[in-house]
Amino acid sequence: MKKLVMILLSLLLLTACNLKTVEEDHLPIEGGSVSFAERLEDAKGTQVRFYGWGGSDSINGWLDTTVSNELKENYKVELIRIPMNPDQYLAKLMTEKSMGSEGTIDVVWINGENFYNAKTKGLLYGPFVEMIPNFTSYVKPTKDVTYDFGFPVEGYSAPYGRAQLVFIGDTAKTPEFPRNHIELLEFAKANKGKITYPEVTDFTGSAFVRNIIYDVVGHEIFIGMEADKEIVREAIMPAIEFLKEIKPYLWREGKTYPANIGQLVNMFADGEVLMTMSYTPLHAASKIAQGIYPETAQTFLFDYGTIANTHFLAIPFNAPNKNGAMALINSLMSPEMQASKLNPAVWGDQPVVHYDLLSEEQRKLFDNIEIGVGVLSSEVLSAHSLPEMRSNLVPLIEEIWREELLGE
Amino acid sequence: MKDFFSKLIIFIILLPLIPLMLWPFIASWRWPQLIPLFGEARGFKHFFSAGSNSVNILLFSVFLSIVVTIITLAIALPAAKAIAFYSFRGKNMIKTIILLPVIVPMVAVSMGIHVSFIYLGLANNCIGVILIHLIPGLPYAVRILLNSFLLIGDDIATQGKNLGANSLQVLWHITLPLIMPGVIAASTMVYIISFSQYFITFLIGGGRVVTFSMLMFPLIERGERVLASTYSVVFLASILLVVIVGDKAMKGFFSDSNFLV
Repeated sequence: MKKLVMILLSLLLLTACNLKTVEEDHLPIEGGSVSFAERLEDAKGTQVRFYGWGGSDSINGWLDTTVSNELKENYKVELIRIPMNPDQYLAKLMTEKSMGSEGTIDVVWINGENFYNAKTKGLLYGPFVEMIPNFTSYVKPTKDVTYDFGFPVEGYSAPYGRAQLVFIGDTAKTPEFPRNHIELLEFAKANKGKITYPEVTDFTGSAFVRNIIYDVVGHEIFIGMEADKEIVREAIMPAIEFLKEIKPYLWREGKTYPANIGQLVNMFADGEVLMTMSYTPLHAASKIAQGIYPETAQTFLFDYGTIANTHFLAIPFNAPNKNGAMALINSLMSPEMQASKLNPAVWGDQPVVHYDLLSEEQRKLFDNIEIGVGVLSSEVLSAHSLPEMRSNLVPLIEEIWREELLGE
Repeated sequence: MKDFFSKLIIFIILLPLIPLMLWPFIASWRWPQLIPLFGEARGFKHFFSAGSNSVNILLFSVFLSIVVTIITLAIALPAAKAIAFYSFRGKNMIKTIILLPVIVPMVAVSMGIHVSFIYLGLANNCIGVILIHLIPGLPYAVRILLNSFLLIGDDIATQGKNLGANSLQVLWHITLPLIMPGVIAASTMVYIISFSQYFITFLIGGGRVVTFSMLMFPLIERGERVLASTYSVVFLASILLVVIVGDKAMKGFFSDSNFLV
């Protein structure tokens, strides 16, 4: 009887695990002399594991269907998407690095502070970006793709898309939107308790604070600034004073802030606040199409500009399937996928491929996209785009904000 | 009166679930509308879309947690019985050690376990995930079963033995049917604990083992109400279904020897 139970149990265990067993990993072909075609040949029939933030059903859905099918058809590679935030996969990679063990992650979605940490700690494979044909043919090596938050990329990550901070309001409620921080203060005074921004632990909240800093003290002074807390504090003090001044007019008198951008988006959708913000410039169009925002929702910017940055794809140092990883990255950088990603019904993410370098047919892919209502044209956006400050200044600013605004 | 209060308490418990049940179908619910605007249930669309693989992951999670529950009970039953009826050296210490996973935070311990699991080749696979899932559930299972054993005592088992039953027959025909309510309570508890694990599955499974709570977490974290509530409803419904079916199955299995209850 006991034996039988044991056999049954081990059978159960085995079947449970068999459901998820993965075929033997393909050995990557290392070295520079290998052509990309050979790499793609080697990647055929493999699985590639893509780790990244998984909180959006539209982005998830796009990766799970469009990208997955494209990869299966053109590269014979199976895409497995794992929803995991950078802090989690970086912790995992750190442990693996210290133990010298085999990895499980083939591609990560990364930028900013996380990329800085990953690269300086040797968690990334590279340089590889010059091997990606769609990078060399369609991407212009401008500063926004060779630098990530002011930190040189040096071929350790490939651009995936562009983001720019935008603000969204409702013209039915407030026909005029603030065009700078002074008008924002007046706007908040006139609409007491109806304006707020996410806490700085949130990616977008942190960007908003940096944007206010730029608006108050300008962005040039941060170029080459030493990552010293007191120097940074002194530089941003006028902006911190401004945030203190606006605080009593904010939602719940600024005693508390929405924990993340999702909460602010919900509050705007419910009509609890008068403005929200997003890192995706076409955010409003997607939300209006889904019926979440009113049709009178409208995107706006500050005259001085808003922060724009690029998000990237990278390969971990111990990726088991580096060739498959490059196949995925090449596919995500293709004009077809970049165009399909720009569609606000899909994601609304700005492309990294350059229009001038595309063929007539490829340009049509972009021309045919309906960017929707309530958003700004890419000309207006790029005319108002400001560079990110260096990634090692960002955590200092977040700390200072917490000390000064929350009194921690 | 007592009836009224129990109904009131049930109502208070269920009240927060009402918006949760509504949100999967809502497009927008703007102030000052009293009635929400219903949409196309895009959460369920996403859940059932072949690409999202959610249904398969849900089934896999249910299966994984059932396996964890069975193994936990296989460990907890003899442990609880030994603590209940035998006296041995260090009994109190063992009782405390069994409770440790409740006292020491799992996050702190699992980091170290992760390193050991990498050495042992148990990281990034499902055997490792099953092993780590045993830890948080075990103290509850032992505690619940211990109480059941203490409640029934071992007199009836001794009587059976005196009448000539061997120890296997005693286990099958006397002990198990008697403590069945305890077993059901314990397995429900263990199942729910295992099914809700997020962090340790992430850490040990390394993304190779994907469970339902791992799909759910980013949606809740982002405050995506329609999707988060859809997945929560599925989460709750699947637990309820498994618990009810499990309860019926276990009761049915021992109904023929249910001579005492």
